[in-house]
Amino acid sequence: MGWMQEKTQERLLATAAAVLAGLLLWLTIAWQPELPEAPLPRAAAPSGGDFVLESATGPVDLRSFRGRLTLIYFGYTYCPDVCPTSLAATSEGLKRLRPEEAAKVAMLFVSVDPERDTPARLKEYAEFFHPGIVGVTGKPEELASIARRYGAFYARQAVATAGDGYVVDHTSDTYVVGPDGRLLGKIGHATPPDEVVTIIRNYLKQN
Amino acid sequence: MKKVSLLFSALCLSAGAWAGAADQITVQEPYVRLAPPNAPATGAFMVLKNNGDKDVKLLKADNPASKVTELHNHINDNGVMKMRPVAAVEIKAKGEAVLKPGSLHVMLIDLKAPLKEGDSVPLTLSFDDGSSKTVEAKVVRPSAAVAMPPMQHQGHKH
Repeated sequence: MGWMQEKTQERLLATAAAVLAGLLLWLTIAWQPELPEAPLPRAAAPSGGDFVLESATGPVDLRSFRGRLTLIYFGYTYCPDVCPTSLAATSEGLKRLRPEEAAKVAMLFVSVDPERDTPARLKEYAEFFHPGIVGVTGKPEELASIARRYGAFYARQAVATAGDGYVVDHTSDTYVVGPDGRLLGKIGHATPPDEVVTIIRNYLKQN
Repeated sequence: MKKVSLLFSALCLSAGAWAGAADQITVQEPYVRLAPPNAPATGAFMVLKNNGDKDVKLLKADNPASKVTELHNHINDNGVMKMRPVAAVEIKAKGEAVLKPGSLHVMLIDLKAPLKEGDSVPLTLSFDDGSSKTVEAKVVRPSAAVAMPPMQHQGHKH
C-alpha cells in the first residue's frame, strides 16, 4: 500500500516539475511584460440601439430592419440647405447600388422637429429624395434620447426670416446600423454619391 | 417700365463703356435646387467669375419667386451644421466665388408657389458699385444637381 502511495507521489512530483519547467520556458520565450499605461480619458462611444418612432403608416421599429444595413439621418423638413445637400448625395448613392445590394439597405429620416414635421409631411419629404427612405419622428424627449445614443446633436436657433421664426442647427452625418442592430459608424455630411456607394459596399461585405 | 429701362440702357451706351462690376462678372451655370414638396425654402447656386482687376462684392440677390432672398453660408461648427445669412460674397479680382450646396448660396425663402422642375427663375444680383445683372436660373432636381455638378462636365475624367 505504502509503496503504491510513494509511486503516485513520485509521479505527481514529476508532473509538477514538468509543468513548472514548461511554464518557465514559456515565460522566458513568450512573456513580454506590458508597460503600465495610464488610460486616456475618452468620451464614451455612441452606442446606438433600438427605437420605435412614428411614420405616416404607423410605428416603425428599428428591430424590423434586422438583416439589412440601415442608414439613419437626423434632420427636419424645413431645413433649407443642409438636409437637401446631404440627402441628395446619399440617395444618389443608394440609386447607384445594384438591385441585389439595394435590397440589403434601408434608410430612415428622423425628424428632430416634431412640432412642424407631421409623419405625413415627412413621408412626402423623404420620398422626394428616394422612394425607399422612411420618414419618422416622435416625442421631443424620445428624439433627444435617440440622438444622444447615436451621437447626433441638434438645437433650435431663432432666425427671423426662417419659416415660423426658427431653424434647427444639427449634425449632418448619416449613421450606419449593421444587420444585427449595432451602430457601425457614420457617413460624413455631403459625402459624394460614389463614395457613399463604396462605403455601403464595404459594410455589406463585412456583414 | 420698359421705356425706362430702354432709356437707361441708351444712357449707359451713350456714356461709353461703363465698366460696372456687373460687366466684369460672368455667372456660370446658375440653378435653383428643386425644393421637396411643402419645403418653404430652397437654394440657388452658381459660379461667379470675376474677369476684372478689381475685387467685387455681391451684396444682394433678388427673385420674384420667393418673398425673401438672402445670401447665406454654411458654418460647420464641430460637425454641427449652421446656416446663417451673410452680408456679402466677395469675388476676388481674376478669381471666382463658388456658390454650391453646403457652402455659400442664395437662399430663396418663403416660395410664393412651388417651383417645378424645368422652370426658370430670374435672379437679380446686385454688386457693391450699384450695378446689377439678372440671370436665368433653371430649376433642377437635387439628385440631378448632385450627379452633374456644374463645372464637372467640362472634361471627362474617366
